[in-house]
Amino acid sequence: MSGASFHNAPPLLPRDKASLAAPPAHPRHQKTGTRGPIHRIRWSVLPALGRYASPVILVLLWQAACSTGLISTRLFASPLQILATGWGLAQDGTLQANLGVSLLRAASGLALALATGISLALIAALSRIGENVIDAPIQILRTLPVLALAPLFILWFGIGELPKVLLVALGATFPVYLNLHKGIRAIDPKLLEMAHTIGLSRWQRIRNVILPGALPDLLVGTRLAVSIAWLMLVVAEQINASSGIGHMMMDAQDFLRTDIIFVGLAIYGLLGLISDQGVRILERRALVWRQPSAQGRGQNHD
Amino acid sequence: MTETLSHNKETYQNTSQPAVRVRGLSRRFGNNPPVLHGLDLTIAPGEFVALLGHSGSGKSTLLRTLAGLDPVTEGEVSTPDEISVVFQESRLLPWKTVWENVALAQQSATRAQATRLLDEVGLAHRQDAWPLTLSGGEAQRAALARALIREPAFLMLDEPFAALDALTRLRMQALVATLWQRHHSAVLLVTHDVDEALTLADRAIVLDKGRIRLDMPIPLERPRRHADPVFERLRTQLLEELGVHT
Repeated sequence: MSGASFHNAPPLLPRDKASLAAPPAHPRHQKTGTRGPIHRIRWSVLPALGRYASPVILVLLWQAACSTGLISTRLFASPLQILATGWGLAQDGTLQANLGVSLLRAASGLALALATGISLALIAALSRIGENVIDAPIQILRTLPVLALAPLFILWFGIGELPKVLLVALGATFPVYLNLHKGIRAIDPKLLEMAHTIGLSRWQRIRNVILPGALPDLLVGTRLAVSIAWLMLVVAEQINASSGIGHMMMDAQDFLRTDIIFVGLAIYGLLGLISDQGVRILERRALVWRQPSAQGRGQNHD
Repeated sequence: MTETLSHNKETYQNTSQPAVRVRGLSRRFGNNPPVLHGLDLTIAPGEFVALLGHSGSGKSTLLRTLAGLDPVTEGEVSTPDEISVVFQESRLLPWKTVWENVALAQQSATRAQATRLLDEVGLAHRQDAWPLTLSGGEAQRAALARALIREPAFLMLDEPFAALDALTRLRMQALVATLWQRHHSAVLLVTHDVDEALTLADRAIVLDKGRIRLDMPIPLERPRRHADPVFERLRTQLLEELGVHT
């Protein structure tokens, strides 16, 4: 339909540079279509195998060292032992229960951090008073190592869930705030001028120009916040907890169960990896407008 | 120079209800010489005015004041409620598709309205595209559609084609001529291009050091031919006022 309407356009409205420049775009696409796979096989699959070969060999050596008694399995559980223990913990439900508790803490802390960080950044970046009141204290606070606040948090908030969630939230708030604040400040003033000339209200400007414009920075902040959230959680759960992956690991320490400690480490590692990938996928979806190649949505150049 | 000013006042008195009226507008930044100096300007409804001048002549400040982007500190400015501006850069929001950008400019606009405007500027086939995938000419077409969906009584064009290649610029000029005849807005076109001014405008104004140096009607039939002897004469005159001697 759109094609037809274009052809109906009066000849007074000739095609411009884009229409003329469009045809070369096709050969370019074809090129990536036909030559891409060969390139990929030659240059990305083989090195990828190479990259994974080294860790695999290391794990094999580790197993061999344990099996031959070169390493004491009491201090350094073997990979097979760790797998078996992980399987056992999953079978009796210990792993799921502790994982659930840890996930809930991380998620609540992160949600709190996002809400706080976004609100504070909006206030600080959009009003002069907000900037003066909010930005200076945050810049001072962020130089403190947040983990050092753990003892204080236990005194203030007891030993329940609250101090753990708050510790996660506090650590994760800073990257959200700092990146969003920077992102809002970096928005092209020309776009804000344009928004003014088309009569957008303050709220409409925030919704249509400021937030989407700062979204790339907010997502960078979120990714940092996610990794910090896990870090804070590890510490919070090891200092004082009766459940959670960290608690499971501290318990294992008392019984010299290095295999369980390694299972906990692996879980933390996986959680970090998965959540980071999650934010990356979110980034690709939300910022599709930044990738000119991903134009999708039915256009025709001709 | 005083003659030009009094001529302006007469125009103002003769026009019953101008679309744009500027009286004694001055603008000064710090202790520098004023950017605008007691400027008087009237634009009639539906009139196409081209504004020429060197960099630093006050063109941009005048346009920004008329667009409500700069405050009026000295003098009077009255403009219609419905105004639109097309800038040298398209200033499309890159995170909204082309039609969403167009629809955003009018509170109650529907997708159908945006599509109709995009069709008018010859860009309906790109309405779902992301702005970063548009060429310079396409982006300016979208910016024109966004300006027109507001049904402006006064349209400001701030060197809208300066960044385009020569052929695209010619096509865009023809498009603006067509759109102007269809929408009947008063237009103020800021440009460096004397030919562009003579092709499109009813009146050419040359700004120099914050004052109007020349206010010249362009009494030519449309469409205009560059080979026309009157066109040639006006061209020479404009260039001389701009300090280019041919």
